[in-house]
Amino acid sequence: MSSGPYNYNYIFKYIIIGDMGVGKSCLLHQFTEKKFMANCPHTIGVEFGTRIIEVADKKIKLQIWDTAGQERFRAVTRSYYRGAAGALMVYDITRRSTYNHLSSWLTDTRNLTNPNTVIFLIGNKSDLESTREVTYEEAKQFADENGLMFAEASAMNGQNVEEAFLETARKIYQNIQEGRLDLNASESGVQHRPSQPGRTSLTSDTPNNKDQCSC
Amino acid sequence: MKEPATSENDPIQKRLNKILETRLDTDKDTLEALSDLSTFFTENTLQTRRNLRSQIEKRSVAINENFLESFREVKLSLDSICNEIDAMAKSVNSMKENLRSSQALTHDLIQQTNSLQAESNKLQIDQQIAGAFLSRFQLSVAEHQTLYGAVKDAPITPDFFTVLDRVQSIHADCRILMQSGYQTAALDIMEEMTLHQEGALERLYRWTQSHCRNIDSHDVGSLVVQAMSRLQDRPVLFKYVIDEYATARRSVLVRSFIDALTVGGPGGNPKPIEMHAHDPKRYIGDMFAWLHQAIPTEKENLLLLIKLCDKNDLSEQIQNALANIADGVCHPLKIRVETILNSEKDTIILFAISNLLRFYQNIINYVVKGGNLEQCLIELRGHSEQSYLNALSAQVRSILQRPTTQSMGLDPPQRDLVPPPSVGKLLNILKEILSVASMVEGRQSDITKIVSCVIDPLLQSVTESASHLPTIDMAVYMLNCLYHMQTTLAMFEFMDERMERLQAQSDAQIDTLTSEQASSLVANLNLGPIYTILQNSQARIEANLLKIFMNKMDAFLEMPDVLLLPQINLLLSSTHRSTVQKRSFNVIITIYKQIYERIHDPESGYESPESFFSKTPEQVAELLSG
Ligand SMILES: Nc1nc2c(ncn2[C@@H]2O[C@H](COP(=O)(O)OP(=O)(O)O)[C@@H](O)[C@H]2O)c(=O)[nH]1
Ligand SMILES: [Mg+2]
Repeated sequence: MSSGPYNYNYIFKYIIIGDMGVGKSCLLHQFTEKKFMANCPHTIGVEFGTRIIEVADKKIKLQIWDTAGQERFRAVTRSYYRGAAGALMVYDITRRSTYNHLSSWLTDTRNLTNPNTVIFLIGNKSDLESTREVTYEEAKQFADENGLMFAEASAMNGQNVEEAFLETARKIYQNIQEGRLDLNASESGVQHRPSQPGRTSLTSDTPNNKDQCSC
Repeated sequence: MKEPATSENDPIQKRLNKILETRLDTDKDTLEALSDLSTFFTENTLQTRRNLRSQIEKRSVAINENFLESFREVKLSLDSICNEIDAMAKSVNSMKENLRSSQALTHDLIQQTNSLQAESNKLQIDQQIAGAFLSRFQLSVAEHQTLYGAVKDAPITPDFFTVLDRVQSIHADCRILMQSGYQTAALDIMEEMTLHQEGALERLYRWTQSHCRNIDSHDVGSLVVQAMSRLQDRPVLFKYVIDEYATARRSVLVRSFIDALTVGGPGGNPKPIEMHAHDPKRYIGDMFAWLHQAIPTEKENLLLLIKLCDKNDLSEQIQNALANIADGVCHPLKIRVETILNSEKDTIILFAISNLLRFYQNIINYVVKGGNLEQCLIELRGHSEQSYLNALSAQVRSILQRPTTQSMGLDPPQRDLVPPPSVGKLLNILKEILSVASMVEGRQSDITKIVSCVIDPLLQSVTESASHLPTIDMAVYMLNCLYHMQTTLAMFEFMDERMERLQAQSDAQIDTLTSEQASSLVANLNLGPIYTILQNSQARIEANLLKIFMNKMDAFLEMPDVLLLPQINLLLSSTHRSTVQKRSFNVIITIYKQIYERIHDPESGYESPESFFSKTPEQVAELLSG
């Protein structure tokens, strides 16, 4: 599985977290399929999506875990935090309770991920302006205080969805460039795969393959 | 002139000479005169001599009188002759006059005659030309009859086409006629020929159509083929004939199909296809095999029918006609296949039927495009796909159903954390279907659907039951189930994406286990407080703490397995086991190295750093990764 040239240079792992019903699965679907999925079934445990994007001329495969917001799946979903390079933390701008739970989500994230994990706060359902319960400013302040990136988005009309995923990737890439991420650590959530041997200058030529294959 | 002249001038002389010169024997006149004298001067006496003269004179008078008398008569005759001649001359003159006048009269007549003659000659030539023209530019009575048929509904004969050709060539020749300046005639003839042609084609069309309507045997006559090639100039008529043909063939095809289904071949051999209705694969396979044989034959016959038609692009008409011909079998085919699809419950059989349908759909589409049959095949294939996926889902559901609660889910994990038997059962079903995987195109999306149909609910059920377990058990149980799935799917093609996903899920659980194992080691080795101090560069590690750690460390290095979490041994994959072990041990090695370096750091101010450590970090690494 780990031999041969890849059509991407890196794999970045993302998790999407937040209360049930805030639109996590829809955001993922919008990002990977560019479509809004109105009747999305409840997520059980985790769902998975991938898409290859480009940052600074590098092809990056995003491996995205969409988690179930329900408490009963916490044990299962927590497993996915550890390997995440990016965490999209989602609340619903029309339901204040989902915003109020952010600090507990943030604590979980901080505890389980490595310190360099990029956290992007998304206020979803920005299309539902009329029933808004959380202002942009309030959330922006929360984000700034906690060092999170932030945007309001809509999985329905696609506004800012692409940007949230791409901004996160750019930030992760910047962290790599600045040497803040140890590519060889399995918790970094980043795998480097030189697409052409010898072309990479970022890390050693032996990518972190030891965890790749269990068979 | 006194001179007495010469002898010549002297008359006497002259006379003398003359007498002298006279030669009596040769002078004929004299001789005759003398002989004549002898007749009447018989006596030579003086008297006689004296009388001679008078006698001669008398004699002369008598002669003259005689002469006169004679001439008088002559004169009289001559006078009468003269008179007659005069009269003759007169009548000749009048005749001449007459002649002259009649000659004047005849001259006109002759001229008229001549001109008439010339005209007659010209007319004769004209007549020849006209005759030639007519035979060239008009149909003969016989031809006319051939073209229109001697009696009503007379059949078309081969001559018909010869005449039709002639009509067309006359029509074409009119062009030359027109160029030669005979516009009116050319146009008239052209119009006439057009009418003939229309009439003939109309008749030909009716004949061909009725012929096609009754076309029961596969045999298409050469006259019909020829007729079709003529009719291609009249696209509308042509289309009607083709339509008629297709309609006729359609009912023949349906009849044959129903016969094959219910009666079988002649004398029941081969057996009727419906005999195999209890064996769905065979039944459906036989139906399609029959169609697969019959429909291309229809195409061949249709192509034969129009093989001389090369003027227009007929591919669309051919397609339409074939679609039309094949239309009829859709209904009987569809009810039968749907009956099977609705009653069959076996996923594998349904999957095989779906592949069969796809196979025949491809090859039949190759022959017949568009129309109900194509649509029917699309629907049947969609239906068959849905049927086997439904059957599969039902099967998956019945296995995942917990008998006691009637809710979805697996049997709760046992203490050994191995996947419950249902997992193996489902994976076996999946294996069985994937092994039947067809050789037909489009497999990948099929296979992806089938895999999702089994794996997605399975994963959800596994997650559901795992969510009730403590973290370590949850991770081990998940890993064992994932491992089972991975090893099953790895045998098949088109699994890359699914494998990547399972792998990523395994990785997450391995990370969790590693972290749990490392925490457990840190706790068991009393590393907690030391690790906290290590994070703080100023603080000094108490020797006491170090001693306890070192004792524990030595024991650990003797028997590293003792400190492994018991659940790690429950991991089915030895790779999983060793990965978790290695990576958690690496954490300890790293911390050991940090402590070792801190103690050996002169700035830390330890008296004899060596006394604390029985082993170098390298030795520790060696022992733990051995
Ligand atoms: N109006 C609106 N509805 C959304 C949006 N995103 C998700 N939803 C709806 O919110 C509900 C929950 O979405 P889902 O993605 O299942 O939430 P999850 O539990 O976080 O995965 C669904 O009914 C979606 O249709 C959005 O951007 N705008
Ligand atoms: Mg969801």
